[in-house]
Amino acid sequence: MAIVDKESSAGIEKVVPKLTLSQRLDRIYLHLRREWQIYAMLAPLIIWFLMFNYRPMYGLQIAFKDYSVFLGIDGSPWVGFEHFQTLFQSDQFVRAFKNTIIISLLSLFIGFPMPIILALMFNEILNEAYKRTAQTIVYLPHFISSVIIAGIIITAFSPSAGIVNTVLGWFGVEPIYFLTKPEWFRPIFIGTGIWQEAGFQSIVFLAAIAGVNPSLYESAVVDGANRWQMMWKITIPCILPTIIIMLIIRIGNLLEVSFEMIILLYQPATYQTADVINTFIYRQGLIGGQYDVAAAAGLFNAVMAFCLVMSANAIAKRVSKTSLW
Amino acid sequence: MSGVFLEGIVKRYGAVEVVHGIDLEIQPQEFVVLVGPSGCGKSTTLRMIAGLEEISDGELRIGERVMNRVAPKDRDVAMVFQNYALYPHLNVADNMAFGLRIRKTPKDEIAKTIEETAKILGLTEYLERRPADLSGGQRQRVAMGRAIVRHPAVFLFDEPLSNLDAKLRTQMRAEIKRLHKRLGVTSVYVTHDQVEAMTLADRIVVMADGNIEQIGTPMELFNNPANTFVAGFIGSPPMNQFEATLEDSDAGPIAHANGTMIQLHGQEALRGSAGRDVIVGIRPEHVMLSAEAGTAEIPISLDLIETLGSEALLHTHVGDVPFVAKVETHGEIGHLQGVSALHVKPERVKLFDKDSGRALGQVA
Repeated sequence: MAIVDKESSAGIEKVVPKLTLSQRLDRIYLHLRREWQIYAMLAPLIIWFLMFNYRPMYGLQIAFKDYSVFLGIDGSPWVGFEHFQTLFQSDQFVRAFKNTIIISLLSLFIGFPMPIILALMFNEILNEAYKRTAQTIVYLPHFISSVIIAGIIITAFSPSAGIVNTVLGWFGVEPIYFLTKPEWFRPIFIGTGIWQEAGFQSIVFLAAIAGVNPSLYESAVVDGANRWQMMWKITIPCILPTIIIMLIIRIGNLLEVSFEMIILLYQPATYQTADVINTFIYRQGLIGGQYDVAAAAGLFNAVMAFCLVMSANAIAKRVSKTSLW
Repeated sequence: MSGVFLEGIVKRYGAVEVVHGIDLEIQPQEFVVLVGPSGCGKSTTLRMIAGLEEISDGELRIGERVMNRVAPKDRDVAMVFQNYALYPHLNVADNMAFGLRIRKTPKDEIAKTIEETAKILGLTEYLERRPADLSGGQRQRVAMGRAIVRHPAVFLFDEPLSNLDAKLRTQMRAEIKRLHKRLGVTSVYVTHDQVEAMTLADRIVVMADGNIEQIGTPMELFNNPANTFVAGFIGSPPMNQFEATLEDSDAGPIAHANGTMIQLHGQEALRGSAGRDVIVGIRPEHVMLSAEAGTAEIPISLDLIETLGSEALLHTHVGDVPFVAKVETHGEIGHLQGVSALHVKPERVKLFDKDSGRALGQVA
């Protein structure tokens, strides 16, 4: 019995013999014996994943238990989906879920293209010194602590001495208490995220652009294409696989809204638009001591993210033949 | 069709000069091959013609027009790249149409041109495929198709066959030659493969270290190399070269090397140059196994025989110097085993100055 793998390009037929289970196990054993050094080097990472990503999953069961710190994880009684019911009946959770979705989608639609645009713009800068300076300037915010970034934002939008209100004051606009107004939270949060991360994220796309075969541009130049046409017809299509991979990863983290920054920037006055699942979990679990409800919210978040990344990968595979797996 | 004319073309990268003022006239419809070892400046020269590299000095004309400051798109040239430079996201038809669309050619005209060109190149059934789904030879044809559809005045080829295997290369070489005959477009072709140069070119330009060493038809270069570099570069196996000292005789000058005396032919100008050191060049193909009237005998020690089928390469030594002979086998090699001397007609022996490497006597 043989599997016939047809290679359409050259019309070659490859005959791949079908292996029995013991033959496959033999192959794996031989492979491991031959390449054991590689697996030895991989071992610390696998151990790290098991210890810090898989072992804590054991604690997820408290999402289905009436957890008591005195009874422990195993000793606490099972309550089924009670905490999930509590969550879905809670206005605060529904609001947090809605805010998470809105902020995530806004970040995705506005924030995701920014590094690509930046990378394309950097690629068009011909003066090397100017290019390097510009890149350094936009990479810098990534290396600043979120606490300091939040401090800068709070200061910049301060109604008394903030630069934004000062500039608005020149045009006769009364000072606005930006960070206490729910309608301003999302634009400020998303803008801050772009300012902090777009430059650094552009590195991936710059690397992808650097990988485009220079002959394609030379050929296009001889054909008469200008820089704009080359960007649209060569650069963007050639880095599309990278864009799709980054998009899938981004969608996987869609519900992981920047927890630190929200905690640092929000306040009860802006909960209406700022409270997200992660801040809800923080308040319920760590401040309110309801670990089981917080675990249920966290599990819900993780399952949603898992579904999102699976769907995004499947769609990308079907539409562009590029996918993570 | 336009000719291409280079006058004193120089290319510098900062303080480093890589092409040193070359002069070259390529006539309309001519197929000229620039050949030379890696780093000799042949690709740089081609890229200067295309407009992909700035010309540091000198003048480039295509037809009557000076092109030094003209953008590549306005030079009316089309280029085929070494790695084909096909757009991976476009299918064959779109790849071929790219240049025409950029130039806003009407759609029906594009479709017609693509159809005709695909027919010429045997690509009709692959028009919907992407480059990744094509074999090396098919990709190469698409790259040529993209150049052909533009109907340019000049084709520029930058080592277009170097990524193909030997068999496909031979096949594609013939296709390029046929295509040139059919289209009659002035073509400049860069390669480091002297076989490609010999088979394709109307004229070959041999380059080394940013200079032109010799320009001529393939047979001119083969028969009368201008210097030891060309003698060693053109021909496979290359011309045998060994040092000799001139001596006088009643019949004219004689080259004396390793105990071998070779009576020289057509070198009357060297009469009276006894004691002058020269390089003797003998092509492996010009060596004979048996003596004829007037031939010089070269005693050899046979190292090994490489059988090529109808021919064989005898790897020998003349004194301490390696010497290769290419002889016919007539279907068997037994008679080659005991060869102890080879013969060469005096008119086949080339002489080069030992210091400058330049040919002495009958160079065209």
